[in-house]
Amino acid sequence: MAVVKAVTCPVCGCLCDDIELTIRNGKIVKVKNGCAMCESKFLSHKNEHRILKPLIRKNGEFVEVSLEEATRKAAEILTKANYPILYGWSSTSCEATRVGLELAEEIGGVIDNTAVVCHGPSILSIQDVGISSCTLGQIRHRADLVVYWGSNPWSAHPRHIERYTAFSEGRFQKSAWKGYLTKVKASAAKKKIESALRRVLFRKKAFVSPKPRKGPPPTLFKEGRKLIVVDVRKTRSAEISDCFLQVEPNKDYELLQALRALINEQEIDVDEVAGIPVEYLEEIADLMIGCNFGVLFFGVGLSMSKGKLRNVDAALSLVRDLNMRTKFVIMPMRGHFNVTGVDTVFTWQTGYPYAVDFSLGYPRYNPGETSVVDILLRGESDAALIVASDPVASFPKKVAEQLVKNPLIVIDPHMSATTRMADVVFPSAFVGIEASGTAYRMDHVPLPLKKVVNPPNGVLPDEEILKRILVEVKKLKEKRLVEAA
Amino acid sequence: MFKMINLYPLKKFRFPVIAECVSPDVFQGKNQKEIEELEIWEGNKQKRLGELFKVEETRKEQETIITVCGDVSKVRRIGAYMTSGEITINGDVGMHLGEEMEGGKITVHGNVGGWTGSMMKGGTIEIHGNASHYLGAPYRGSNRGMRGGKIIVYGNVGNEAGAYMRKGLIKIYGKAGQFAGSRMHNGTIHVQKDSEGRVGACMTGGKIVVEGFLESVLPTFTIESIKKKVKIEEKIVEGPFYLFLGDLTENGKGKLYVSKEKNPQLSSYEKLL
Repeated sequence: MAVVKAVTCPVCGCLCDDIELTIRNGKIVKVKNGCAMCESKFLSHKNEHRILKPLIRKNGEFVEVSLEEATRKAAEILTKANYPILYGWSSTSCEATRVGLELAEEIGGVIDNTAVVCHGPSILSIQDVGISSCTLGQIRHRADLVVYWGSNPWSAHPRHIERYTAFSEGRFQKSAWKGYLTKVKASAAKKKIESALRRVLFRKKAFVSPKPRKGPPPTLFKEGRKLIVVDVRKTRSAEISDCFLQVEPNKDYELLQALRALINEQEIDVDEVAGIPVEYLEEIADLMIGCNFGVLFFGVGLSMSKGKLRNVDAALSLVRDLNMRTKFVIMPMRGHFNVTGVDTVFTWQTGYPYAVDFSLGYPRYNPGETSVVDILLRGESDAALIVASDPVASFPKKVAEQLVKNPLIVIDPHMSATTRMADVVFPSAFVGIEASGTAYRMDHVPLPLKKVVNPPNGVLPDEEILKRILVEVKKLKEKRLVEAA
Repeated sequence: MFKMINLYPLKKFRFPVIAECVSPDVFQGKNQKEIEELEIWEGNKQKRLGELFKVEETRKEQETIITVCGDVSKVRRIGAYMTSGEITINGDVGMHLGEEMEGGKITVHGNVGGWTGSMMKGGTIEIHGNASHYLGAPYRGSNRGMRGGKIIVYGNVGNEAGAYMRKGLIKIYGKAGQFAGSRMHNGTIHVQKDSEGRVGACMTGGKIVVEGFLESVLPTFTIESIKKKVKIEEKIVEGPFYLFLGDLTENGKGKLYVSKEKNPQLSSYEKLL
């Protein structure tokens, strides 16, 4: 039985690197320090949904084939295609992505990553406005005001609050978890008393739906680290916050712009913005200006609701304005563990972070025109290679239908919805468990992914599979050139 | 020397076709054979124009006139960088039509794709159908929008029409999507019907006129007055209009005219006058 320390968790953008694994007979049996998602991924890597042999669809049925045959078939599909797409990447290593980019250039395809359905609009806005950001370590030690806007870290990035923000013990900022415990106890007691009173004295229903608060709560003026959550509904993260701003759905842009105007000391004509009274917003604006080091984390609630990139544009501009008065930073809450890394690799190889079109031989970029979802929606592509992603399950229905109409090559450890619809399937090793590599945390800090157990026999990492396809593609192209000559 | 050239697509395109060469400036002085030899991209394969289009040379004209007959909704960048002449398209056309054009005229009897008239500096684009998003808006990441010329759309347009606009006129006879005139510096946008809202977000100057229903004005605009009429390029449009100034967030002095008659929900602003 071996214990491996300081393992990086390959699940979400937090990339926690303090995981301890216990390994027995080549299998992970115990996970320490991880969240529920982390535990589940590490403990179930050898489950019954693993694919162990390369598969090719023949007469509608999957047939097990050799790796060489599958590679040849994949290379044939890709070299024949007039407008192939290469999608996924965010759940694999930077090294594999680099090979993927070379492959995309070689076949004249469009390469895109999962940012297109998540923080793609954020990237567009960052290119428009610019971003003032920092590393999570800075935030942990210094941030005295933390704002989560349109994201629910308690559920989606479970250790984010504990490791980097409100509940982390920083050098200059104390953790707020004790205050949180007191608050939870007090609120539970209050709820019990209120429901008892309603039941016994007024003979009414024990539960009434809570009304949104129209003024700032007393916790907003407490000492020390403060946590504000802005969302359309009261999430788990909102429950632990010191102040929860419930914004009307699709009104984030108006709220952000109003805050910007207040911070710039402008008068607003209206009394209420997005369901929140302007006096309340003034308190929030004062708090933002008054902090020593503020941070705004935003999630897909901002980048994928009505207004998309312009919502993020407003958030970035808000932080830019705040920096005239105090220190404030902003960071997108990236989802997949290596989506930041993939954007980085895309950028250093091609100049563009996602939706890169190599069809003319050189990289072109114009999300909306060269992004995979739009290409599929217009029915323009004729083949696809999916790496470490499940677009059939996550794309809009029409787009997924278009994807599976054409020849589909999938590299994935699992039998996912996309794998089931594929024509060629390559089983791959889990990066960060069965294969090593590099991944970037959401604050652009590169961290090593460890190989802790061996992959099943004959199963290769994504990088190796892609390299073999690339070699085969080059061979086929050369052969065609000779034939043409 | 100048002539009229007709192009007929030989098939229904499936892959994107990049046809920067379909422009009067390129066709000028070339005979039919030379035009057929021009380079064009279909998906990731380079082809000749003659492989995808039937080229027909008809009569002599005062200037080069190109007529495209058929559905070219997958064909992009037609008329990009053109400086003179005329293009008429009978059918739908793809993205980046007339990108960075400096002169001449494009007429479309159909719908157009995104980024039509993107970053244009002069000339006229007339669309007798609907236009998609980013009409006259710049390339991603650029802040230099339309710098002159005229775009007239008889149908509806998508989001962000005239974003980062610096000069010129966009006239929309139908409805406009969200964020029309976002971050515009100067120029005029005239929407004759309804708009989805967030009009003039972050504008610093210029003029936007909405004659139809506008769900809400951004909270960062202040009411200035009620105007009886507004002048758009020598033409007078009768109102009355609420005149808003904005965007406060950018210390902007942009003018937003919204029809009073069609927008009773904005009457609460009147008490501030």
